[in-house]
Amino acid sequence: MNQAASAQLLAQRIPLDGSGPVDAAQQRRVVERLAAVLPADCLLYRAEDTRPFECDGLTMYRQLPMVVALPENEAQLVQVLRACRQMNVPIVPRGAGTGLAGSALPHAAGVLLSTAKMNRIVALDAHARTARVQPGVRNAAISEAAARHGLFYAPDPSSQIACSIGGNVAENSGGVHCLKYGLTVHNVLRVRVVTIDGDALELGSEAPDAPGLDLLTLMIGSEGMLAVATEVTVRLLPKPELARVIMASFDDVEQAGNAVAAVIAEGIIPAGMEMMDRAATAAVEPFVHAGYDLQAATILLVESDGAPAVVAEEIAAIEAVLTRAGATRLTVSQSEAERLRFWAGRKAAFPAVGRISPDYYCMDGTIPRRQLGRVLRAIAQMEQQYELRCANVFHAGDGNLHPLIMFDANDPDSARRAEDFGFAILALCVEVGGTITGEHGVGVEKIHQMCLQFDRATLDAFDGVKRAFDPPALLNPGKVLPSKSRCAEFGRVHVHGGALRFAELPRF
Amino acid sequence: MNAPEAFPTVLPARHVTRPRSPLPADFVARLRERFGERCSTAAAVCEHHGRDESPFAAVAPDAVVFAQDNDDVVSLVQLCAGHRVPLIPYGVGSSLEGHLLAVAGGVSLDLSRMNRVLAVHAEDLTATVQAGVTRKQLNAELKGSGLFFPIDPGADATLGGMAATRASGTNAVRYGTMRENVLSLTVVTAAGRIVRTARRAKKSSAGYDLTRVFVGSEGTLGVITEVTVRLYPQPEAIAAAVCNFQTVEDAVRTTIATIQLGVPVARCELLDATGVRAVNAYSKLALRETPLLLFEFHGSEHGVREQADLVQQVAREHGGMDFHWATQPEDRSRLWQARHNAYFATLQLKPGSRAVSTDVCVPISQLAECIAQTRADLAAASFPWTIIGHVGDGNFHVQMLVDPARPAELEEAEQFNHRLVQRAIALDGTCTGEHGVGIHKIDFLLEEHGADALDLMARIKRAFDPLDIMNPGKVLRLE
Repeated sequence: MNQAASAQLLAQRIPLDGSGPVDAAQQRRVVERLAAVLPADCLLYRAEDTRPFECDGLTMYRQLPMVVALPENEAQLVQVLRACRQMNVPIVPRGAGTGLAGSALPHAAGVLLSTAKMNRIVALDAHARTARVQPGVRNAAISEAAARHGLFYAPDPSSQIACSIGGNVAENSGGVHCLKYGLTVHNVLRVRVVTIDGDALELGSEAPDAPGLDLLTLMIGSEGMLAVATEVTVRLLPKPELARVIMASFDDVEQAGNAVAAVIAEGIIPAGMEMMDRAATAAVEPFVHAGYDLQAATILLVESDGAPAVVAEEIAAIEAVLTRAGATRLTVSQSEAERLRFWAGRKAAFPAVGRISPDYYCMDGTIPRRQLGRVLRAIAQMEQQYELRCANVFHAGDGNLHPLIMFDANDPDSARRAEDFGFAILALCVEVGGTITGEHGVGVEKIHQMCLQFDRATLDAFDGVKRAFDPPALLNPGKVLPSKSRCAEFGRVHVHGGALRFAELPRF
Repeated sequence: MNAPEAFPTVLPARHVTRPRSPLPADFVARLRERFGERCSTAAAVCEHHGRDESPFAAVAPDAVVFAQDNDDVVSLVQLCAGHRVPLIPYGVGSSLEGHLLAVAGGVSLDLSRMNRVLAVHAEDLTATVQAGVTRKQLNAELKGSGLFFPIDPGADATLGGMAATRASGTNAVRYGTMRENVLSLTVVTAAGRIVRTARRAKKSSAGYDLTRVFVGSEGTLGVITEVTVRLYPQPEAIAAAVCNFQTVEDAVRTTIATIQLGVPVARCELLDATGVRAVNAYSKLALRETPLLLFEFHGSEHGVREQADLVQQVAREHGGMDFHWATQPEDRSRLWQARHNAYFATLQLKPGSRAVSTDVCVPISQLAECIAQTRADLAAASFPWTIIGHVGDGNFHVQMLVDPARPAELEEAEQFNHRLVQRAIALDGTCTGEHGVGIHKIDFLLEEHGADALDLMARIKRAFDPLDIMNPGKVLRLE
């Protein structure tokens, strides 16, 4: 997958922190120090051993870590943090490495701290409907363990068979069903963390509220920059008795966007509401045979779950809204197998597009729902302007877009146009009141766009939070938060419409 | 829980006040120059802004400024920062833990004139309001849109104040607290800069979650001037029911089973027999005087019936009687008004008394244990008490009626409260489910969070407010 080729182009213009060759002498010192606190098989440093950790899901950025530490328990993890703190060595925490924004990109002079060996479900309380798990537990493993009690863990990122709960906490992961059930932040009650000083803290509680400043929600989505999670208590939900999905066809993309807003405005919160345009369905259908309507300009998948009587009522109500909004065809799943087939196509959309284009660049902008029609129309115009095709697949109910810009990384002009196309989409998202990333995070990929979305006062507030948690700035340095000089550089690269952004900043 | 306005304020706040010096003359001159008549130093105005509905005696600020817009707030914060004068944001003064007392002097910033609903986005189910808009005002403006804002702490508080204290109330069991329902805030930082914590997109993974840092910060990090909240469609059908039980334990067990079954009840409130007696007398109702649960169900016609049938069945299994229905809107609102007035009703059980109210909240699985131990502890109490609460959330209030003329009773009540807090924390709960910390629960935070977590909170406070001018002396003890 070559989705970040254009991001790399930008990175070449403004080099990232922490890239370069590993310093062998320093490596020896750090390995020696860590060997005192970790078993031998928990410490990797030869290039052939550290190579598998050189990137996360954003594969265009690669960097060999100086050392990989794989503690087996919290006590070892505390020792690793203390040692790094003493030696002033950066730490990059890593879960399963499925992140799409490069948050777990290693640091050339740093320790990559993997929680993969801390993968036990510590406790599952069916009465309290909670599970206490170690950070390396896979997202899907929680639901698998809860299934015998009729419970499940709701956030379901597409990578759920592989991604870990620790990584979900770091990225505030969402998924197809977060429209109804919320993101990670809504489904995690408590996180036990270790700070850069090696102190273990419990953030949050199993009661609905805890007094004082809300440290738990700061931790969720902090991309490994504030502390390292060692235990996560999640909320489990009763598995709905029944789920059915409607596939609705539209002749016009904007009409479908407005239909999404109309469903929500009617007071219905479906379990999931996903949209795919014809470019996406055409890519998927030969691959998955999901039964999609290939005549339609766009299809919507709208799911209802709950007690059978409620589902029947809600499906009828949704059908009525969609018909009023101009749907040309409605198909309701008649069996669980058909429902799963409809979803299989959606979940396979990225790889399917990967089959029809040499490369694609996946965006993650999120907009207020009522702007869907306008933004989709603008993206269609951009396809002409940048002479590149774009397949639209997204969590429509949340307004979270995943436009997949198709390009050829071997053609520098094509890659440059893809980058500009992506930038234009994100700029539009910010302009209509949205955000540059709905669920994939910032990492290294969108660090420049942070300058676009946030003003200096807000970025300073972020810096204040970072300093409060991590005064020596050793946790995942160089990610998420752009420096003043980086924003200035970025402004120089992207002088938009002749106007210089952040004109008040000193230029270095 | 909502305390009435005529609440006697007898607890001296002296033990929490700090050294204060009069406002510098040039600062006052600048205030008058900038705000004119919107700045007052009149004793009555200051006195009014130096108290809330807690039992603490007022500690007046030195001046009150009535802000009209964000620019006013920015100017005031900059002036205060320049002269190192404390600043205390003020909504309607309905907080319960001494949040508004000017323990270090300074200026009270009254936001009640910033009371415009700025935008309602029906398709996005959001509304953006100025901080001084009250929840009832917002719901009045939403009439006819088919939408409503559910969070209901009893008092007609401002949205800014509710965000600052992370308020909740009777229907948090279904709709969550302000933590779940605030989508974005506009805040003026202690440096006098305007920050919008999030945009209107439904989700974002860009940067730290500043919104929730400010939600519940009780004015100690900055001034909230605008709030974007989630709205909900008016349910198609609403039904309220009363279910009587032989014992409090049966009612609690029914609550736990209901929540564990995942029934999306909109409200689930417990009144013990003494509480029911007080409510009957005060609100002229004829409820059977045994422990009872008040339920409300929201949904489609079908959904409401299904939920109610299920809960009735669960209640019967725990010795509950048949539901007594309130289906007419008037009956429903009479019932809930009575619930909201329960605090005042309880006070009437002992004329001349005042109430010490607790606010612990525990995981739902620990609720039966916590209430049983609490009732055993109260058995020997020398004063009347009631247990009333948002049991669906695991949150309940013990209201103890003490004679202000007898310090021994007050002491007994405070000691009981301390034991209750320790019990709740031991059961993995919290000292305060919804009222916040203010000046009253600062010491409980240490027991609940530990020194390391408090140290982290203090570092965040210093990062946002290095001069310690934002509502100093509240929530945290800065060394």
